[in-house]
Amino acid sequence: MKIALNSPQTVYRKNKGLLEALHIDGWLLLGILMLLAGSTLLVYSASGGDWDVVYRHLVRIGFAMGLMLLFAQIPPNILYLFTPWLFGIGILMLIAVILVGDVGKGAQRWLDFGPVRFQPSELMKLVLPMTVAWLFAHSSFPPSYRRLLFGAALIAFTAGLIVVQPDLGTSLLIAMSGLFVLFFAGLPWKVILGAVFAAIVSLPIVWHFMHAYQKQRVLTFLNPESDPLGSGYHIIQSKIAIGSGGIEGKGFMGSTQAHLEFLPESTTDFIFSVLAEEFGLIGVIILLSVYVFVIARGLYIATQAQDNFTRLIAASLMMTLFIYVLVNIGMVSGLLPVVGLPLPLISYGGSALVTLMISFGILMSIHTHKKMLTK
Amino acid sequence: MTPHLDFNSDAESQAMKQLFRGRILFAFGVVILLFSVLIGRMAYLQWFDFERYHLLAEDNRISVETLPPTRGKIYDRNQILLADNQPVFTLKMTREKMNDVDEVEQQIAELLPNLDQQRREDFFEKLRRTSRSKSLLLPYSLSEEEAARFAARSHLIPGVSLTARLKRTYPFGATGVHALGYVGRINSKELSKLNESEYRGTEVIGKSGIEKFYEKRLHGLPGIQQVETNARGRVLRKLETVPAVPGEDIQLTIDIGLQQFAESQFKEHKRGSIVAMDPQNGEILAYVSMPTFDPNLFVDGIDQKSYTSLLKNPHKPFINRGINGKYPPGSTIKPFVALGAIENNIISPNKKIYDPGYFEYKNHRYRDWKRTGHGLVDMHDAIVQSCDTYFYELSLDMGIDTIHDALSPFGFGQKTGIDIPGESKGILPSQAWKRETKGLPWYRGETIISSIGQGYNLTTPLQLAKATAILANGGKIIQPHLVRDAQRPPPEQIEIKNSQNWNRVIASMRDVMHGARGTARRHGIGLPFKMAGKTGTAQVFSLNEADYEEENIDKRLHDHSLFIGFAPFENPKIAVAVIVENGGSGSRTAAPMAVNVMKKYLQEHL
Repeated sequence: MKIALNSPQTVYRKNKGLLEALHIDGWLLLGILMLLAGSTLLVYSASGGDWDVVYRHLVRIGFAMGLMLLFAQIPPNILYLFTPWLFGIGILMLIAVILVGDVGKGAQRWLDFGPVRFQPSELMKLVLPMTVAWLFAHSSFPPSYRRLLFGAALIAFTAGLIVVQPDLGTSLLIAMSGLFVLFFAGLPWKVILGAVFAAIVSLPIVWHFMHAYQKQRVLTFLNPESDPLGSGYHIIQSKIAIGSGGIEGKGFMGSTQAHLEFLPESTTDFIFSVLAEEFGLIGVIILLSVYVFVIARGLYIATQAQDNFTRLIAASLMMTLFIYVLVNIGMVSGLLPVVGLPLPLISYGGSALVTLMISFGILMSIHTHKKMLTK
Repeated sequence: MTPHLDFNSDAESQAMKQLFRGRILFAFGVVILLFSVLIGRMAYLQWFDFERYHLLAEDNRISVETLPPTRGKIYDRNQILLADNQPVFTLKMTREKMNDVDEVEQQIAELLPNLDQQRREDFFEKLRRTSRSKSLLLPYSLSEEEAARFAARSHLIPGVSLTARLKRTYPFGATGVHALGYVGRINSKELSKLNESEYRGTEVIGKSGIEKFYEKRLHGLPGIQQVETNARGRVLRKLETVPAVPGEDIQLTIDIGLQQFAESQFKEHKRGSIVAMDPQNGEILAYVSMPTFDPNLFVDGIDQKSYTSLLKNPHKPFINRGINGKYPPGSTIKPFVALGAIENNIISPNKKIYDPGYFEYKNHRYRDWKRTGHGLVDMHDAIVQSCDTYFYELSLDMGIDTIHDALSPFGFGQKTGIDIPGESKGILPSQAWKRETKGLPWYRGETIISSIGQGYNLTTPLQLAKATAILANGGKIIQPHLVRDAQRPPPEQIEIKNSQNWNRVIASMRDVMHGARGTARRHGIGLPFKMAGKTGTAQVFSLNEADYEEENIDKRLHDHSLFIGFAPFENPKIAVAVIVENGGSGSRTAAPMAVNVMKKYLQEHL
């Protein structure tokens, strides 16, 4: 990969610079900073020029950057040691949420620790792929079906705890992050195809067990115009915002759909629509290019990783990032049903950003803590 | 000290790396593929469907508000305001925001004790029937005290808010209502004829008189304001504004002081009309139709009780007598008949005939009003004393068609073209007219009674005033009008064969007032000016041979009292026609009223 070949890493290896000393991957940092800078601009515009919102956003970015830096310092083998414990704690917290969790937006997702409200499912986004990777760290090649089955069971169990909160969207995405590990660990293609086939067949059964609001979301997604003032409203207004941006967009601060409050959740889940309205198709292509750049760099890091545990984590975390981007943009542009999901690194909001930055910290750690003996 | 993560053998590790790289490449391929799908989706929305979404976004953003124009004001000839727009307080009610409509109605009833109960019930009935989100204005103007009282309690009555609007007001109330007219709420019939875009936001429309005739000029054109609204419909900022074109102000020819004075002449008698105009140009100085009514009642919609009482009023105030009251002109027609006779050389003005008190034709006696007769009379005497017999005899020599042709240029039997709607034509009979309307031949006996303004003859007070003005100005066929600034073509001239004939006739009319035997000589005494006049007493129905006993018959069957005249004699500045329904003799009732109006006007204009 061209980007990877020109990586500053190769330069800094000989001449240890500041970034290497801090265990920072320069290319990844560049992509992240580009996204966060864009995010700040868009949050400023979507909030109607509210400096308070921007200030809080920057504080969160600062906090998340700090965490990224912190996790970049932790060598992967330490993470490896802690993974089973973290998984255990995560599972206990998910059970706690079901028993004593705070209700927010009609679902129990939060744990209240006095000053801090914590969403255990957020933790699981990292811990589940780590756990599954941990499982395959010792695995022979190709992995035995027993081990694969065990991994699948872990994934199903975790996703099951989240689905009863109820939070179908998050549980599916967390399951995906685990399944990516299985994929990269060498899950046989026939199993993959079989699973896809089984999923399609089981759709009606899933439908049967879905909550009414989830069914409504799916129905609205299939035909948003059927209920223009009800649940279809968000999608219609979002499509109007995107479509009216045209190729060049209405310009920075030019989003009438957001400023006049037609667009719901314009700083969070629907912030992409603000981007599309203000910066048009050109802005959209630039954003997606930056994402591709970040994902490519992350996948490159995975290929350069020296052991199963780290390469599985790195690849899975990047594919999870990709899935989040795909689902969010698919949702706001009417390709996918509405699931409350922020756009990674762009949306205003705390916990998702923190999780992402930690995962970037882990990626940087993987790339910068290498045993020199292989060289 | 840290655990070693690579548990596999080198060969295994190499194979695994190989597989892993393959899967990474596959995954990256999926990333590129699906992001391309996203970009395709965006291109579809932002490029292919851009126009559609652009319009939808503009639709979201912009809403258009109508700015109704301010209605033009109406002034009298001396710039005194006759129709104004006054800001008034009213209540705006929206059912959507109310907790309980019945409760609100109860609260309003307590708050506004002066609000007519029927009107309140009607309004709330309407409110219950209209869409929940639509706001209605209570057709009631709150006094300052009521507005203050409401403001203090408004938080207790959700869905009701105090709002100011412009209301048409007529400061002189009932004075001159039949000329001025009034505005009222636009009804569905009017709405269907209107250009809806011009009347968006307008609540009232001219219903009669000047207000209706000049509706287009008075109304103006609405403006448009594009506003940016947010998702909740709140206006955030104004975009483009096309200001409303306010209605034109209109100045009337009416002198409101003279109008008030003329109306005040109706005391004992309730019904009738006075039309006073400037004979030189047709400007109407006073336009009286009695009784009148208060136009202010109609602006917000009249309540049923007031309306019923006006409708049931036996004096029928809604009839616009000046243009729609059709009266036999009686003896006021005589000067015109006389002029026609001498202009057509039917008779010499000096020829005397003998009046025994009746005229006999085909064994039928046509009585003179003076039973003893006027004796030997020439044309001058016949006009001054209003001798019927002279005209009976003359009429047979003229024939009905000659009379018709002589009177027609003065405007009898035709609309005057005055600038208020709904004018009546009246009737100026002729052989052709009778054949066409009744399908019957003309009888000579009918000519006889036509010559003294009875029979088929019907004129409006306005027609009489116009004819008098033409007589006064020497044959200029002026068009009566109420609005001062209107451009008019110069008046046509009646063909005058011999101006001596005109002078003779109007000299006779002068002697009606100032001559020793004039029928209205009592009222000509002591005037600071000379004037011309002619009395008339029109029979409401024929009493035939029976003796006329005024006291014995219903007052409604009393003769109508008429008078026409102009002054000053040498340089006429005012021409007046007066009709008092069932007022009795013209010299007793109508003549002094006309003289008073002239005196009043000429005090300031002599």
